[in-house]
Amino acid sequence: MSLQAMDSSHVALVSLKLEVGLFDTYRCDRTINLGLSLANMSKALKCANNDDTCMLKYEENEGDSIVFTFADPKRDKTQDVTVKMMDIDSEHLGIPDQDYAVVCEMPAAEFQKTCKDLSTFSDSLNITATKAGIVFTGKGDIGSSVVTYSPSSSADDENEAVTLEVKEPVNVNFSIKYMNQFTKATALSDRVRLSLCNDVPVVVEYPIEENGFLRFYLAPKIDDDDNME
Amino acid sequence: MGIKGLSQVIADNAPSAIKVNEIKAFFGRKVAIDASMCLYQFLIAVRQDGSQLQSEDGETTSHLMGMFYRTIRMIDNGIKPVYVFDGKPPDMKSGELEKRSERRAEAEKALTEAKEKGDAKEAEKFERRLVKVTKQQNEEVKHLLGLMGIPVVEAPCEAEAQCAHLVKAGKVFGTATEDMDALTFGSSVLLRHLLAPESKKIPIKEFHLARVLEEMKLSEDEFIDLCILLGCDYCGTIRGVGPKKAVELIRQHKNIETVLENIDQTKYPPPEDWPYKRARELFREPEVTKGEDVELTWKEPDVEGIVKFMCGDKNFSEERIRSALTRMQKSRNAGTQGRIDSFFSVSTQVKCVTAAKRKAQEEAEKMKKGGKKGAPPKKRAK
Repeated sequence: MSLQAMDSSHVALVSLKLEVGLFDTYRCDRTINLGLSLANMSKALKCANNDDTCMLKYEENEGDSIVFTFADPKRDKTQDVTVKMMDIDSEHLGIPDQDYAVVCEMPAAEFQKTCKDLSTFSDSLNITATKAGIVFTGKGDIGSSVVTYSPSSSADDENEAVTLEVKEPVNVNFSIKYMNQFTKATALSDRVRLSLCNDVPVVVEYPIEENGFLRFYLAPKIDDDDNME
Repeated sequence: MGIKGLSQVIADNAPSAIKVNEIKAFFGRKVAIDASMCLYQFLIAVRQDGSQLQSEDGETTSHLMGMFYRTIRMIDNGIKPVYVFDGKPPDMKSGELEKRSERRAEAEKALTEAKEKGDAKEAEKFERRLVKVTKQQNEEVKHLLGLMGIPVVEAPCEAEAQCAHLVKAGKVFGTATEDMDALTFGSSVLLRHLLAPESKKIPIKEFHLARVLEEMKLSEDEFIDLCILLGCDYCGTIRGVGPKKAVELIRQHKNIETVLENIDQTKYPPPEDWPYKRARELFREPEVTKGEDVELTWKEPDVEGIVKFMCGDKNFSEERIRSALTRMQKSRNAGTQGRIDSFFSVSTQVKCVTAAKRKAQEEAEKMKKGGKKGAPPKKRAK
């Protein structure tokens, strides 16, 4: 099951993939597009308790709605939430395979804190990465904040390590406002992976167990346009 | 003005070709603007107590005010404007221009009458109709844009056609105008209300030519013929053929020649010596400066030059002009946010049509067919 959406100003794109292995049972007879309003879907999901199992059901002949069934086996309780579908006619972007110059993995919470710290100083986040390390910089009128990670191969805990693969150094700028939105996904996963290249959108990826991911793509800020003198 | 009723035809027949967006959704886009048309709008709309803004020596300055602030608003929103000015009107427009000057004469008469009667409201109405962009105003605006570092293109002929060509050549994203004929000239994207005043909060309407053609199942040539049937600036139309009939005729007969062969010309008389072929040529091959000969650069604004011109010569408030310019500088230096859709291209169109909508569409289809057989189609209320 996959999902793609863009923000209204077409700067960022979110892509969610949940592979078959992630579900206890999964049945889908043919490829089908289901249009749902994110706001309405989250209303349904908010009804669920943390330990509930969730079943999603859509039957073509049963009208324009999707049923979310939340089951709490301890209490023998089920809750059916039906959400009306919506008409969708939108463009699906094809994401080309990209050989990224830098791939960095770190604890998701660490990345969240770094973005939050930098955003108090600046609207824009500069990331530079070389073999020696990766540096996040936020510079503003009141001052600046610079966070440097040297690759920690010796960290005891695998989940705490910051790993860095650098084929070529990069130096890119992004809007920090969007990054802060992305890091709301921190709870999903212990680790986050950043894939970077000069002048290409960054990928901020949160793996979901072994069988899925939530990826955010963010277009870089461009300093000088070719014909902006 | 433009194509008669085209936006309604598109709204009725190809609703998905129209998108409504806020101005900020257009950041990073280069847009060609029909300058002559917006100057005209500024002269009509930018007013104080009903009369145009004037400098100390009584010269009109509404056009400069409008151009200055609306341009800065676009730059604030990350849009890069290019202004395209009209060249000489095409010969074929003479009929339309004649009609316009007749209307002017009428308005002038009405204005004197209203003034005699002392009816200020009526007088203002007719005065607005008499507004004309002078050569000097055109030059002043070009001078101002030059100082602001905004590129200006002088079209050899119609500005609309030049804008459309810049879009086709990939120089800009779309044409910003209120005249729908930019689409007929082949502009893949047309933006309406981009220059509307901020205070009115009118959202921007985006028309996509490719989707118009796809949804109406027309080729570009058929679309041009349809526009001529609807009514353009260059020739008359067949009497008694309204928008509905025009769409029907082109769908059935594909071009005006076949339409003429198949309709009852006593019931639907075409104009005598109807020059639709020349109008068609004008839309297909308009006189334009080739895209590769046009260079677009956005330069640093000349702040002192602008202050001298706007405040020294035209008596605008220096404080306001300077603060607007500071804002413009700030957005210029902020660095441009890239667009994700300039990196990833559209791979598929995702459609999800709910059963309810499908049913509604089927009903609408049935209604259309029923209308043909039985009762005469309802007239649209005016």
